[in-house]
Amino acid sequence: MMHYPQVLFQNRKPDRIATLEEYRQSGGYQALADVIRNYTSKKVQEVLVDAILLGRGGAAFPAGRKLMTVADEAPYPRYIVCNADEMEPGTFKDRVMIHADPHMIIEGMVIDAYGAKAEKGIIFIRPEYESAARILEREIEIARKEGFLGKNILGSDFNFDIAVHRSAGRYICGEVTAQLNALMGKRANPQQPPPYPTEKGLWNLPTVLQNVETLANIPHIIKNGAEWYKSLALTESGAGTKLFSVSGKVNNPGCFELPMGIKLSEIIEIHAGGMTEGSEYKACLPGGASTRFLPREFYDIELDFDTLRDVGHRLGTGAIMVFDQKTCLVAATLNLVEFFARESCGWCTPCREGLPYIRDLLRRLERGQGEEEYIPMLQQMSKHLWSAYCAFAPGAVSPVESLVTYFEDEIREHISQKQCPFK
Amino acid sequence: MPKLVIDEREIEVPEGTKVIEAAEQLGIMIPRFCYHPALGSVGACRVCAVKFLEGPFKGVQMSCMIDAKDDMVVSTTDEEAVEFRKYVIEWLMLHHPHDCPVCDEGGHCLLQDMTVSGGHGVRRYLGLKRTYRDQYLGPLVQHEMNRCIHCYRCTRFYQEFAGYFDLGVMQIANHTYFGRFKDGILESPFTGNLSDICPTGVYTDKPSRFFGRRWDYQRSPSLCINCSLGCHITASARYREVVRQEARYSEAVNGYFICDRGRHGFHYAKSETRPGKALVDGREVTTEEGIRAAREKLAELMSRIESDGVACLGSARSSLENQAMLKQLCQKMGWQDPSYFVDESLAKKVKTAVTRLEPELTVSLRDLEGSDAIIVVGADPINEAPMLALAMRQAQRKGGKIVVLDPRPISLPCDYTHLPVKLDEINLYLGALIKAAVDPEAITDAEKDVARFYREAPMLEIFVDSLQKKASSLAQELRASQRVVIVCGTQVVRETTVVLAGDCVSLLRAAKKQAGLFYLLPQANAFGASLLTNKEFSFLNTLEGMENGSIKGLILVENDPFYSFHHRQRLDLAIEKLDLLIVLDYLESPAVRKAHVFLPTSTLYETGGIYINQEGRAQAATKTYLGGISIAQISGGNHPPRIYGSEIPGGEARAAFQFLDQIGDGGSDEDETASRQNPLRWLSANLPALAKIPPFGELTEAGMLINSSDEGTGQFSLDWKEEKDKGDMTGDLLEVILTDLTFGTEELSSFSPPLRKLERKPCLFMQVNDAAKMGLSSEDRVRIKLDEGDVEVDVRLEENMAPGVVILPRHRLLEWQKVKRLPKFVRFEEIEKVSD
Amino acid sequence: MIPAELKESLQKHIASIDHPRELVVDVMFAVQDYYGYLNDEAVEEVAELLDMSPVEVEQLATFYTFIYREPVGKYVIHVCDSLVCWMEGHESLLDRLIGKLGINLGETTPDGMFSLLPVCCIGYCDRAPAIMINKKVYGPLTIDTLDDILEKLRAEA
Ligand SMILES: Cc1cc2nc3c(=O)[nH]c(=O)nc-3n(C[C@H](O)[C@H](O)[C@H](O)COP(=O)(O)O)c2cc1C
Ligand code: SF4
Ligand code: FES
Repeated sequence: MMHYPQVLFQNRKPDRIATLEEYRQSGGYQALADVIRNYTSKKVQEVLVDAILLGRGGAAFPAGRKLMTVADEAPYPRYIVCNADEMEPGTFKDRVMIHADPHMIIEGMVIDAYGAKAEKGIIFIRPEYESAARILEREIEIARKEGFLGKNILGSDFNFDIAVHRSAGRYICGEVTAQLNALMGKRANPQQPPPYPTEKGLWNLPTVLQNVETLANIPHIIKNGAEWYKSLALTESGAGTKLFSVSGKVNNPGCFELPMGIKLSEIIEIHAGGMTEGSEYKACLPGGASTRFLPREFYDIELDFDTLRDVGHRLGTGAIMVFDQKTCLVAATLNLVEFFARESCGWCTPCREGLPYIRDLLRRLERGQGEEEYIPMLQQMSKHLWSAYCAFAPGAVSPVESLVTYFEDEIREHISQKQCPFK
Repeated sequence: MPKLVIDEREIEVPEGTKVIEAAEQLGIMIPRFCYHPALGSVGACRVCAVKFLEGPFKGVQMSCMIDAKDDMVVSTTDEEAVEFRKYVIEWLMLHHPHDCPVCDEGGHCLLQDMTVSGGHGVRRYLGLKRTYRDQYLGPLVQHEMNRCIHCYRCTRFYQEFAGYFDLGVMQIANHTYFGRFKDGILESPFTGNLSDICPTGVYTDKPSRFFGRRWDYQRSPSLCINCSLGCHITASARYREVVRQEARYSEAVNGYFICDRGRHGFHYAKSETRPGKALVDGREVTTEEGIRAAREKLAELMSRIESDGVACLGSARSSLENQAMLKQLCQKMGWQDPSYFVDESLAKKVKTAVTRLEPELTVSLRDLEGSDAIIVVGADPINEAPMLALAMRQAQRKGGKIVVLDPRPISLPCDYTHLPVKLDEINLYLGALIKAAVDPEAITDAEKDVARFYREAPMLEIFVDSLQKKASSLAQELRASQRVVIVCGTQVVRETTVVLAGDCVSLLRAAKKQAGLFYLLPQANAFGASLLTNKEFSFLNTLEGMENGSIKGLILVENDPFYSFHHRQRLDLAIEKLDLLIVLDYLESPAVRKAHVFLPTSTLYETGGIYINQEGRAQAATKTYLGGISIAQISGGNHPPRIYGSEIPGGEARAAFQFLDQIGDGGSDEDETASRQNPLRWLSANLPALAKIPPFGELTEAGMLINSSDEGTGQFSLDWKEEKDKGDMTGDLLEVILTDLTFGTEELSSFSPPLRKLERKPCLFMQVNDAAKMGLSSEDRVRIKLDEGDVEVDVRLEENMAPGVVILPRHRLLEWQKVKRLPKFVRFEEIEKVSD
Repeated sequence: MIPAELKESLQKHIASIDHPRELVVDVMFAVQDYYGYLNDEAVEEVAELLDMSPVEVEQLATFYTFIYREPVGKYVIHVCDSLVCWMEGHESLLDRLIGKLGINLGETTPDGMFSLLPVCCIGYCDRAPAIMINKKVYGPLTIDTLDDILEKLRAEA
């Protein structure tokens, strides 16, 4: 088996989290010390831009550029929010990351804060991750005692502290603006910019929100430089490593740190232990529930954000859910749409009403009560759900659209046989 | 200013205009549900989608969310956009109950319109419909959640715009629910707007349910006369009764909304107790007989007495035409001029206000929303003129600062600072605050009297310790503000306060701030009444004349002193001594019962009329229906009633001006329209301020601002040392402040059955420390000794009010008219606990 | 009513923070822990603590999955019904639970011991099919291991 450099998971243990000591021995908090001594906040931003660190929460927005959108003269206090909501079905990398090496995330947040001149940090975490929340609270306290957090960090005049905010559970809370509303004690409806959160976020103050994995990358980029970071990827278009959460019909489901640009086939066959006994690869969702089915023809595709985008797909969160030839993709899509219809925040019409409509059509198809005309209806409705208020609905219809694109025959079989052919 | 093309037509609009608004200016109504001009854009419903062909945005986008920009080319008819909108309607209709035949919104339902115009006609969705449980929301609003299309307008209006937090949005996804935490009466006094803004029938007007379709109604632009703001209303009548009122947009006054008092205050016009027939000595007669009797009795009386032996009392709730005609009649008959206010001090305060309102000081309700500081002096917006509170909230939402100087427990649906000070202290505190708000540099070149006024104004140090800090930080903020408005009430304040409010505005203007002046007046047409008031003749003179026998005849025109005069016993005795009492009114009252001749007048719904609101804006209400007794009353609900004839059953009422005209000259003019020109012509000839008043029907929507200011009279003449006018009382005293409530004190709306359900039980408000001194707690009931007897009420303790005062509402259910003179003070021991 | 100590500690926390509304969810959880669910009284208490109106709290309470506005059992079993667990046979787990407990999704056993609720992906897809009982995760499960867990919980109670 091919072994790749482990950066984020370098201290990962099978049975416990890495302690502060272990993290420090691996070079932890050196980047922070360096930043505090030798960096301006501009320089932090520039390094991250040079490294092409793209947001790992799904949208792949350049992390450094996000920091740069905080205007020099923007008011204080400024906020850093770490998005540990991770409610995208199939995705569990942030959970594994927190359980592996919490200080890496903390250090990433502090450096990020330095880059934004922020002094308040919040980790927004889903309620199912109660153990992770406790770990973070405990390690934050330890970091504070060691002077990595709180007032006068490492003897400088830089102050930054972190609080853990537990959510009460809703997928939409993962969306930036909805998350900020949730944090302010409002309903977690998204809010279309302008103003952007980095201009007016929490309590109308500049707020930089980043994913757990994105933040965990930051100390390493500072320590080893942008060039090193880019060179970690196997492709020209990628940079760094990626945490892939692999699940479904594979022998060895789990979360793996692998270079950007790694082939899908390699992940499945080697790192995830191959397809389970008697199953054959039919398709996967490469980046969580809100990405498009990747059928057989893309089996060897190199996984990085750009490569997938160029073929009309999205890498999303890198959560790969693998389906075999015995899995009905109409039923799988229905399951996803059930999820999305239930989790819609209810703000805008297309998502609130259109998803249950699509759910109804898929239910009928799956039950063998489908009609020919449902296929164009699914297509059109999915297309129009792109005009919803936020990115939730376009994500929700991604599986539906790709089902019709790649597996129309499978749908037709449901109609002609008047039942699910997989049952 | 950006220039863009919409549907191949070019338009230039101000920066910040949304594309949906720009289209509207071209006459293109892009569909919308969640967008509302007053509530703004939130992009929730998605039905305003259009296609952006060129410019900074591309593709199908929401026209309500995008600012018009140069080089945009927009199509509202693009196929993709049209198809998307059609889908949106289909989605919205998935769960709609299609109960249009029994829905009161039917016929004026935005959802109906959009469904038809959007081309969604065939149901494809086969799934089940979601259903909700409805809630009881009180007597005014009916809830039918199944009809909801989730535009969020209701909660956005209720919470964000109006500032009340007992209606909200609950649940998630397609179970999202709009309602209250629990069934119960909505707390806001603006709830009726929910039915206006809801684009379908979730919230409908409850009292008028199942009465008719909009197209069945006789609808006309009308005015609210339940306070002095003069909000615009559309009145609807059917089967000879007014059944519903809705807010009518007004650029200058109320915007898109009205308060519940105004919306439901019309029931007096169809009250079963409304006197509809002429009476002579208590006997029903024909209208002609009534007029003849009035004329003959007057002639008989006048043959025995001097011409100043007949007095007339007009009213501040009458139209300008009625008010003017009364004065015209007096002049023709050689009687002394009429008075229009029962309370002499109030008459003076209104006069001051009316003469102080120079055109450049006047602010409209809408202007007020744009101010960055509002200082409220002796006014209780929610209780006296609710829409004022809503306007203040808008100013505050934009960052405006609100300060209230008032002894009462004021509560406002926005952030404000309340300085609870006694009526006698308001002047000093206001003066000190304004002085501190003025930068001395700014008035170095001010005129002498301004400079002296500034110099002599009290210093902030006069504030008692407990208010010191608040006051000085307020002064700082006021100093930074530019557009300051002083809102001054006229009901409870001392006469000098009304003067001072004007002076303070003048001072602020001298200090180069854009200060404005906003008075509240007691009734809908107090402004008009005041224009016609001759200072020499007050109702108190009249009363004295009645008592000493020099006045033998009294004509009351749409004014019931038994309702508003503070000393009932005195009034009773004086009226007893009259030889002739003639009453013209549309309200049932003790005066009607005592009249020797009674003539039934029409309401504004039957005649229309001009009313001048508190800022001096003359506005017209048009006739809504012809009058008569409602079919419901005449036939006990049976339909159709078997009454034959060409007359309107029960249609004897005439405009007061018509009756007065007929009493005066023998009744040649039976025609209302012709008769109306008479007082208007007289006004333009005799009152310089009204010289330009156009004939009825030619007043525009915006109305006409009347300038009645009398520049310079008495400006900056205030003597800061206000004498406490306590009569012969000494020692520890409590001032009894008679006050208004949103519901239950205002004369016209107190006839409204639905509003009666919202009235709070009358009670006595006391400051907690005062109550503690007297050993009273919040559960107690007290007897308060007034001059002519006692009143029993429950006590309500309040922190947030001035010590040394008690507040008693002029509630219709409370016999408060036992006060010999105002202001009224009581000793602590004159309030005693009623043991039960 | 919540006990005085709880109220005081919440009040202290609230007073210590710049924006008390950031704590709504925490306060709801704390009060819910006391009552077992967020009853009407609890909604009103949360509202009072945070100077909100009851409906403002209700707006949030009814939004979130983990705030219970109806009574739940001692053990709340959340059965993940999202894609990976579905693929790995969550339906048979659910059938088993329904059979063993004699209740449907959304219901509580008459003895108040167990509630059965659906939940969307809990982030343990590598351990599918997974369920969560009182925020503790179990998986990958088979019918047998599921039975063991139920028995153990019954025995503990
Ligand atoms: C419906 C929806 C759910 C999302 N959920 C998450 C989430 O759970 N975690 C996350 O990091 N990002 C999530 N995102 C993406 C965030 O909006 C945002 O892009 C990201 O957190 C930014 O961090 P990054 O730049 O580090 O990726 C979600 C987006 C949408 C539209
Ligand atoms: S698409 Fe609309 S309803 Fe769906 S989550 Fe976004 S805002 Fe809410
Ligand atoms: S009117 Fe634009 S989205 Fe509703």
